[in-house]
Amino acid sequence: MKQKTDVLQGTLALMVLKTLDVLGPLHGYGIARRIEQISGDLLAVNQGTLYPVLLKLEQEGAIASEWGASENNRRARFYRLTRQGRKQLRTETQDWEQTAAIIGRFFDAKAEDLS
Amino acid sequence: MKSLRRFFNRVVNVVTRRAQEERLREEIEEHIALQTAENLRAGLSPGEARRQAMLKFGGVEALKQDYRAERGLLLIENLLADLRTATRTISRMPGLAAVIIVSLAIGIGVNTTIFSWIQLILFEPMPAVSGAANFLLVEPRREMGGYPGASWLEYRDLQTQIPALHDIVASQMVPFNVGERGQTERTHGQLVSGNYFSALDLKPAIGRFIRPEEAERPGTEPVVVISYDYWQTRFRGAPEAVGQKLRVNDSDLIVIGVAPREFQGTMIPLKFELWVPATMGPALLGRALYLEDRSSRGFSLIGMLSPGATREEAQAEFSTAMAQLARDYPEASAGISAEIHPFWKTPRGPQRWLISGLAILQGVMLLLQLAVCGNTANLMLARGSTRQREMAVRVALGAGRWRIVSLVLSENMLLAFLGAGLGAALAVWGTTALRLAPMIGAFPILFPTRVDAFTLAFAMLLGVGCGLIFSAPPAVHLARLDPQEGLRSSSNTSPRSRARKVLMGVEVGLAMVVLIAAALFLESFRSARQTDPRFRPEGVLLAAYDLSGRNPDEASEREFAARLLERLRSLPDVEAAAIATNVPLDLHGIEARPFTVQGRVRTEPGQDRAISNTVTPGYFKVMAIPLLEGNDFADMRDKAAPAQAIVNEEFVRRYLDGANAIGRRIQTRAGSFLIIGVARNSVYDAFGEPVQPAVYFSYRDISEDQGEIHLRTRSGNETALAAEARAVLRDLDPMLPLYDVRTFSQHIERNLYLRRIPARMFAVLGPLLLGLAAIGIYAVVSYAVTRRTREIGLRLAFGATSRRVVLQIIRENLGAIAWGMAIGWVLALLISVRAITKGPVNLPVFIGVPALLLSVATLACWIPARRASRIDPMAALRHE
Repeated sequence: MKQKTDVLQGTLALMVLKTLDVLGPLHGYGIARRIEQISGDLLAVNQGTLYPVLLKLEQEGAIASEWGASENNRRARFYRLTRQGRKQLRTETQDWEQTAAIIGRFFDAKAEDLS
Repeated sequence: MKSLRRFFNRVVNVVTRRAQEERLREEIEEHIALQTAENLRAGLSPGEARRQAMLKFGGVEALKQDYRAERGLLLIENLLADLRTATRTISRMPGLAAVIIVSLAIGIGVNTTIFSWIQLILFEPMPAVSGAANFLLVEPRREMGGYPGASWLEYRDLQTQIPALHDIVASQMVPFNVGERGQTERTHGQLVSGNYFSALDLKPAIGRFIRPEEAERPGTEPVVVISYDYWQTRFRGAPEAVGQKLRVNDSDLIVIGVAPREFQGTMIPLKFELWVPATMGPALLGRALYLEDRSSRGFSLIGMLSPGATREEAQAEFSTAMAQLARDYPEASAGISAEIHPFWKTPRGPQRWLISGLAILQGVMLLLQLAVCGNTANLMLARGSTRQREMAVRVALGAGRWRIVSLVLSENMLLAFLGAGLGAALAVWGTTALRLAPMIGAFPILFPTRVDAFTLAFAMLLGVGCGLIFSAPPAVHLARLDPQEGLRSSSNTSPRSRARKVLMGVEVGLAMVVLIAAALFLESFRSARQTDPRFRPEGVLLAAYDLSGRNPDEASEREFAARLLERLRSLPDVEAAAIATNVPLDLHGIEARPFTVQGRVRTEPGQDRAISNTVTPGYFKVMAIPLLEGNDFADMRDKAAPAQAIVNEEFVRRYLDGANAIGRRIQTRAGSFLIIGVARNSVYDAFGEPVQPAVYFSYRDISEDQGEIHLRTRSGNETALAAEARAVLRDLDPMLPLYDVRTFSQHIERNLYLRRIPARMFAVLGPLLLGLAAIGIYAVVSYAVTRRTREIGLRLAFGATSRRVVLQIIRENLGAIAWGMAIGWVLALLISVRAITKGPVNLPVFIGVPALLLSVATLACWIPARRASRIDPMAALRHE
């Protein structure tokens, strides 16, 4: 149970970083929308779970935040990637691709390949 | 790095909590507003748009929890909250808190003080020397018993023959007479080997230490290292002290350095002022053969294990070396074996009794502390149960079991820490007082105890331990609480009342044991005090002299004593004068020596022993001990009479079957003696001791280089004799100081003072425990009564008299108390018969103490019971 949330949080954090990398500074809702658009139902419910992840990333120094004005001219918190965040994104992307490649090869492998 | 940063941010967040919560709230609001706007654009009705937005967002409270957990240090925040609550709760019960804190503080204070002494002896046996506890004692042991120390040559041999020990250090305690002729002062120092200071790894305060080559050849280097205190008091701390001359035993020594401030030598608690190369011994002490004679023992050896060596190896090598020495030098080393001890396990000297005494004391005090904990647990249980409702509400609102436990724990821990803090303060006061207390006696003694980080840690640890012990029962009780039951009513009886009663019984039992012990001690002390010592101490002045630095031979020792006595007897106020080697009722006791007596064959194994004292003629007159048969010793200058002895009545009864003693012979190690008289029995070691056999020998036959002068005054004012006695001695030998001058009454008081310590300790402990037991009983009963308010009201409403109610409550509680008392009484009886009196049971004590305890217990029950019986029945029934 706990494990599953951790995995979710880990992937969510990576998605947040990538989103900010591609789209530049965004508020929480914007990030949530973007992730929803791309990942489908991962954030269809419980969009709120995004906020602890944002806080964690901010505390680690991967992102920074400041107050700004939203589309409907209300006060909103805007998040942006820091230099350290960019670095983190790079390494984590690499890690992720590597893992994905290994897992992919593993799934592709047939019984005769393994013997 | 990342986690460190995260941790730092979290710490910051704990402080800025409010702003953070506000930020999250705003973000959530904004998020939902944006989603609602989106939903509106998708064509939903305004209400539905907001509802959908909120559904999509998910549980806000759960999120807040997650957010909080992510944001800060949940544990610490909870702890801070608990501490705030605890502070509030405690400040609402100042009386109870004060009782708990003070009783904890007393226990912790006393325990910490004792611990600081034990710590000193176990871990820092040589102040200023780091790692002193790692030193081992290298002790030659006589097969007949006793630890004579090593001779100088033996030390030189052992240095190379025990490779498992490196840098063995030799030292010997010596009293010096320091100062110019006519104004000498007795000062204690150590004769040391050349590696003494380097092996102890000390740095001089100023100057330098003794070099190894300065302790190579006899008498070549007249140098001395002085203690820091000595430097301060005699040289006013002047740096010019180095290089100055110090007159020691009529020779000039050059001060070469000052030892570090705390350093007081290698025989704690003795405090030395001078350190002189051992090779100066012959010149200073006049013992010519002292460095070459293998039977001239007296050096204490200590050494540290070489790297990689074990104590067993050292022991084996030492044994082999001693066996070899016994073969090479049978006349000096036969029958001497080898023992290696850890430094704190000194087989001789004051430490030997000190460490076991302290261990017992610590054990007793820890038991007392346990009783305090039991008491506090009782009080907290009683209070905790009245808070059942509060806790039930907390549980019902979702507090976890652990949160309840942590709340109770933090309250009790706060109390425990306050107690430990106050206790540590008490310990600081206690150790300082003990440090400053004048240590009286012939030897300079200083216990350099203090409260340091280690002792403080002990106090805190004790506090934590106590806190945990007395938190456990209420915490377990409250955590097990069923919220529904807790909320429903408070009139149910507590399931843990049995535990409380057991605690109460145990406490009463403990109090019983200690009170009886206290009473027995005081009683035996009081009766001992009134015992007739069977000699007359009033009007006698005592003073000591020591010729050991004067190189006397037997004839000159005898002559000195004879001349001294002649001069003293010629003083107008002196009625009688004598010299003796031992003074009765001395703290160190008088040695009982083995002997054989003509006409007696010992059937059982072992040797006949008797207290032995060497005295001059006139001793029995000074002491007012009548000679029942025969005569006093022959005159000091009489050369014709054979060696003589005088025995006491008990000696005659025990060893001569009451037959005629005069004319028989006694054989001792010193020779053969003719019994010429029988003296009345008197007290030798302690008041109240069983009658002991004793033998007196004469200074004429066994010359001694030191003695205790006994002067009986004519006028009754013995203190006035001190100055005259000093003048007489100065006249005879200007280099010889008279020391340890005191009246016989002072001598007795001084030695009783130390013997009185256990009695005093029990005298303080007894009432303390009585008070604790009373508090404990009061707590239990008053709690039980509060819980039963409704029942009591009902009884009163149905016509029970308040008298009946009171009696019933007392009766119920006295059951447990009686059990505790009975068990305690039996225990005390066993201890008393086995250990303390070893004689008939002291009935007044064994009846009086239970009676006292019973009345106090009844009173402690009566007060809350009476309060309960006075309530208005109507009010009581409406209660809850």
